[in-house]
Amino acid sequence: MTMATVPRNRPGLWVGLFLASAGVIAALKLTEAIDPTTAFVLFAISMILLVPMIRAMRAAGPAGVGASSAAIRYTKRIGISSALYVLGLGIAITIDRKLELSTALALAIAMLPVLPIFGMIWSMGRYLVEEQDEYLRHRAAMASLAGLGLLLGAASFWGFLETFGIVPHAQGWWAMPIWAIGMGLAQGWMSHRDRAGGES
Amino acid sequence: MNNRLKVLRAEKSWSQGDLAERLEVSRQSVNAIETGKYDPSLPLAFRIADVFGLAIEEIFLRD
Repeated sequence: MTMATVPRNRPGLWVGLFLASAGVIAALKLTEAIDPTTAFVLFAISMILLVPMIRAMRAAGPAGVGASSAAIRYTKRIGISSALYVLGLGIAITIDRKLELSTALALAIAMLPVLPIFGMIWSMGRYLVEEQDEYLRHRAAMASLAGLGLLLGAASFWGFLETFGIVPHAQGWWAMPIWAIGMGLAQGWMSHRDRAGGES
Repeated sequence: MNNRLKVLRAEKSWSQGDLAERLEVSRQSVNAIETGKYDPSLPLAFRIADVFGLAIEEIFLRD
């Protein structure tokens, strides 16, 4: 249960970059400056920022403390899953543009980005199982619940706006990034609260 | 739940990091327990008691 360390970083920078990129892409899409496919690709690419964001949040604990070995394994798994996600998405979109797809083939290429997302979810579950530090595990569980709360709230809110014709239809794959944003913000807030507590 | 962790740690001139190392937990954990933001599990409470050579109820107090 030795606490291996990784260098401290600036989580706020990655949070800001990710939120800014997501905001710009959403604005471009809503103003129809870019088509849905381009928005999808750009957003997929911006998801790469979630990796250093989560890594930095885990590393930036109180002074002198870095990530646990479970957190480092988690970061590696998320990094691999994210890379496979972007690769799978790129291949799926390329095939979809160039070929007339049967239902079976469409299902098969849809799985290319979906399977890595399952990998991300599995990685998060494994972190909760493998993290030996009970307070860090508690924090991760609370952050996951915060992400779930944001997702449920956002989906319900958007769903009813959509039902009454106020907003356009939103694709279901938004669930994962919204959940991850909620989790990241909660981790950031808890890290800030812990730092504010400080040593005395 | 209140606790005397900060006082006991000060008596031994240990930093939060020193105590965290002895308990094999993160410094965040020690800080969260000391400041009452997190109540440790029973196994961790026993480890804390063992480190100070005290009984659990001599460290953790009812509200």
